Amino acid sequence: MPLLILFYRLIVRPLRREPVRTALTAVAVALGVAVVLAIELAGGAAAGSFRASVESLTGQADFEITATGGIPAGVLARVETLPYAFQSRPRIEDYAAIVGPNKTVPLIGVDLLSDAVSSADGDSRVFQKGNSVWVGDGLGYKAGDALKLLVNDTVGDYVVRGVLGKGSGEVIVMDLAPVTTILGRNGALDRILVQAPPGRSIDEWEKVLRAALPPGVTVARQGTRTDENRRMLQAFRWNLRVLSYIALVVGAFLIYNTISISVVRRRTEIGIVRALGAQRSQVLIAFLGEAACFGLIGGWAGVALGRVMAEGAVKLVAATVESLYVSSRPGPITLTWELALIACLTGVGVAVGSAFLPAWEAAQVVPVEAMARGRREHQLRMHKLRGLLFAAILAGAAWVASRQPAWNGQPVFGYVATVLLIGSSTLAIPALVALLANASAGLMGRVLGVEAMLASRSLAGSLRRTSVLVGALSTAIAMMVAVGIMVGSFRETVLVWMSDRLQADIYLRPAVPQATDRHPTMSADVIERLRQLPQVAAVDPFRAYDIYYQGWPAILGAGDSAVAAKYSRRPFLSGEDPRKETEELTSGDNAIVSEPFANKHHVHRGDFVELPLAGRRVRLKVVGVYYDYSSERGYVIVDRSTLLKYLPDPAPSNVAVYLKPGVRVEVGRRAVEAALAGRKVLAFSNRTLREEAIRIFDRTFAITYALEAIAVFVAVMGIAGALLALVIDRRREFGLLRFLGGAVGQVRRIILFEAGLLGLLSNIAGLILGVFLSLLLIYVINKQSFGWTIQFHWPVAMLLASLSVVYGATVLAGLYPARIAIRLNPIEVVHEE
Amino acid sequence: MQFDRVSKQYPTDGEPVPALHDVSLEFGRGEFVALAGRSGCGKSTLLNLAGAMDFPTTGTVMVDGVITSSLGDAGLTKLRREKVGFVFQSFQLLPTLSVVENVELPLLLAGRKGARAAALERLRRVEMLAYAARMPYQLSGGQMQRVAIARALVHDPAVLLADEPTGNLDSGAGELILALLREIANREQTTILMATHSVEAAAITDRLVRMRDGQVEEIRELCRS
Repeated sequence: MPLLILFYRLIVRPLRREPVRTALTAVAVALGVAVVLAIELAGGAAAGSFRASVESLTGQADFEITATGGIPAGVLARVETLPYAFQSRPRIEDYAAIVGPNKTVPLIGVDLLSDAVSSADGDSRVFQKGNSVWVGDGLGYKAGDALKLLVNDTVGDYVVRGVLGKGSGEVIVMDLAPVTTILGRNGALDRILVQAPPGRSIDEWEKVLRAALPPGVTVARQGTRTDENRRMLQAFRWNLRVLSYIALVVGAFLIYNTISISVVRRRTEIGIVRALGAQRSQVLIAFLGEAACFGLIGGWAGVALGRVMAEGAVKLVAATVESLYVSSRPGPITLTWELALIACLTGVGVAVGSAFLPAWEAAQVVPVEAMARGRREHQLRMHKLRGLLFAAILAGAAWVASRQPAWNGQPVFGYVATVLLIGSSTLAIPALVALLANASAGLMGRVLGVEAMLASRSLAGSLRRTSVLVGALSTAIAMMVAVGIMVGSFRETVLVWMSDRLQADIYLRPAVPQATDRHPTMSADVIERLRQLPQVAAVDPFRAYDIYYQGWPAILGAGDSAVAAKYSRRPFLSGEDPRKETEELTSGDNAIVSEPFANKHHVHRGDFVELPLAGRRVRLKVVGVYYDYSSERGYVIVDRSTLLKYLPDPAPSNVAVYLKPGVRVEVGRRAVEAALAGRKVLAFSNRTLREEAIRIFDRTFAITYALEAIAVFVAVMGIAGALLALVIDRRREFGLLRFLGGAVGQVRRIILFEAGLLGLLSNIAGLILGVFLSLLLIYVINKQSFGWTIQFHWPVAMLLASLSVVYGATVLAGLYPARIAIRLNPIEVVHEE
Repeated sequence: MQFDRVSKQYPTDGEPVPALHDVSLEFGRGEFVALAGRSGCGKSTLLNLAGAMDFPTTGTVMVDGVITSSLGDAGLTKLRREKVGFVFQSFQLLPTLSVVENVELPLLLAGRKGARAAALERLRRVEMLAYAARMPYQLSGGQMQRVAIARALVHDPAVLLADEPTGNLDSGAGELILALLREIANREQTTILMATHSVEAAAITDRLVRMRDGQVEEIRELCRS
């Protein structure tokens, strides 16, 4: 108890005396914790929704049987006639858009009789009716309601016969027979769920099924696909997580700074309490306790803030997951007590961890030696060269780490290299600050006046504090610069790639929304109708299938290679003439693969990929690897004739239309729309498609920018807090300036110059570090995470704008401390001893 | 410099605390005056009023013909820049500036040209030219006070206000500082007001003003050295 009283008097009470500075530090921790928690919750909700939309529909089963292009007729019968009591449930799975609310939902075809879905009127005859649907409870319909559904390119009228059980979500269920007709599946199923009888192990039953089924049909444990999809999401979630940690790291810098300031200020006080009998460990605990206070307050505030921020983050994350990875819908955000506790403890842990060094220093204070600031700063100056040496060593280690391959599919060494580079920068900053501040002091004095010179000298004189502040802000700026360069480079690369790839004048797709794992089709007659138009020079129908290769989702696509060779400029990694490699597709079972596919599966030109297609295992020779940025899943592309040989479904997923020379796009588009009247098909001009692609691109990276902005905001708040401390520490100096004839405006300008110099130094350090980090992001982390090559590009306008904003914010952060400084009573502060 | 029926009270949460009461004094050009008395007698308050750092509650303070209470903040700043120099007991040199940079600081704050040359000249006069490039922590106490005096005089003020200038020095260094101040008053005709506890320090001045409880208790003319 006495110790608690002392803790209150010596630690808590001073914090209460400076509420603004205390609040700034606590808010920095809170924001760090909030960002990490929000990203975790948002990622969980996005992944959770994915689980909800797939797993809940599959029901209880041991195995799921699938095949690319649909399970051939006869497989279900084969399973059911095996001499074992397997229970099988066939499924057809697609998507439909509800006309009106324009909501896209899974459309599942099930055997209603065996799956025991009850109809509202209890009449099983309605099952077979072509217009009968059952809806999930999340859609808000009731039995008897009428619905218009868009399936592929056709709209139809349907009647709700019943509502599925609680928690069924947003889904539409039909009986197998009508859904087969509507989707034009010709008896092919998408999935058969199989429940094995007791008596043997799951492994044994899996062997039995595999042996009984054709080689092109895949048997997997139920949930395998879900796990594979989730695994695919891991890289995305990890990258987001790492970005979210930046704000926490910046917060850690600021806690370190706050406790350092606290220790320097109270050195005499520490000496006195040590002389009065306090042990070193008590001093250590006291300062760690101070940090824990910040961590505790910030942690809990961060939990509350994180829950709120998750609401916004989940929309962005889910949109990205939907457009890049897998069909999903944002699920509920679940903040458990355990997660809240972990988040809060993270705040406390980061705060205590980052305060350890200054707290340990405090514990070393000898009672008779209350060292002056000047001497401590001198010591740091003496260690600058040593810091530079360690910085060089860490930079070397970062280079070595950056050369290592991915570990378990994750760019672990890339992250290690990032941390090492940040560490290297932190160690080099004192030397940089001293060099720049000292070198510029004279020049600044001459150009900007005595205030600038005093500000510059002051920063160089408080090297330790300045370095920590510059370290914090420059780390945040560096991440902003790195992500900015990476995203800017990526965007430019995609723009160049699109200008090569997208050569057609008009692109068509079914009106029902597509997704990376969702490839609705148009009626096959569309192709012929288009070819017959006098305005059209060529038509390239493209069909896509979702496939799994070596446990990873991918896309099998097929187009007309002859048309592509003639009109398109698909760039290949080999640098050879794209036409030659595209033409090779027509000569046999050849394929080209996209760069992400090649990197993910270590496939090179000349290798073979073996795919299960309609009951057969087909070996495709890879004749080229091409640059592609449309899907991280990766493409295997074959000629249309090759695909139709194995999967004879001519319906295209997309169609590219090339107009004859001289035909205006609008004219061609009107002709195309007239030819396809009655079909729910969307026609996009080349320009519109590109704009849409860039819109999705920008939306994908919106959360990245948001995370960076928060990290920078935390750092700028830290600058404000530190400047406030600086004003309080140097109040005698400011008072003295008034005695020496300094005007109020001059004192204000000194603080603002110091803030500006901190911003400038941080911008310089952040820019240098950021460029190196961007190289890591582009050539190591992104390459290993997602598999695509990004061409380096300087987003000059973005960098100039964001660095200017940060600089402006830093100067503004000096306004409040400046206000405090000019309110000081010079007589009081100069004469206080 | 003229104090005419000057009183000063400091507001507190309760009753205002009187610091000076009905003080009237006049100091001539080149006069070296010692303000003596116990702690809290009002010496520092009188110096602050003389230096245009504060306003009297009643009465007027006139510095070189200007009534301080008639000025706003900008006017007071200008007055300090042109007419007043300060020397403190604890030297108050900025640790981040070199010796010459400390000395030229008032001129730079006033935006005057030729600051470096004037600073070096002042350092030469206080025999600290050889230390111009050093940092304050490399100097002894006596040397620091010499630099502080050079800084206080760099803009040729009419009035030099010294608050216990020898309080932090040993006797030898203190004597040298007092001799320097005496010389300045004589040679440059600068009015010097020096608050001190020291009888030896007071003995070197032209006039001793002894204060007690915010009032002038005794004024004694001393022999000019």
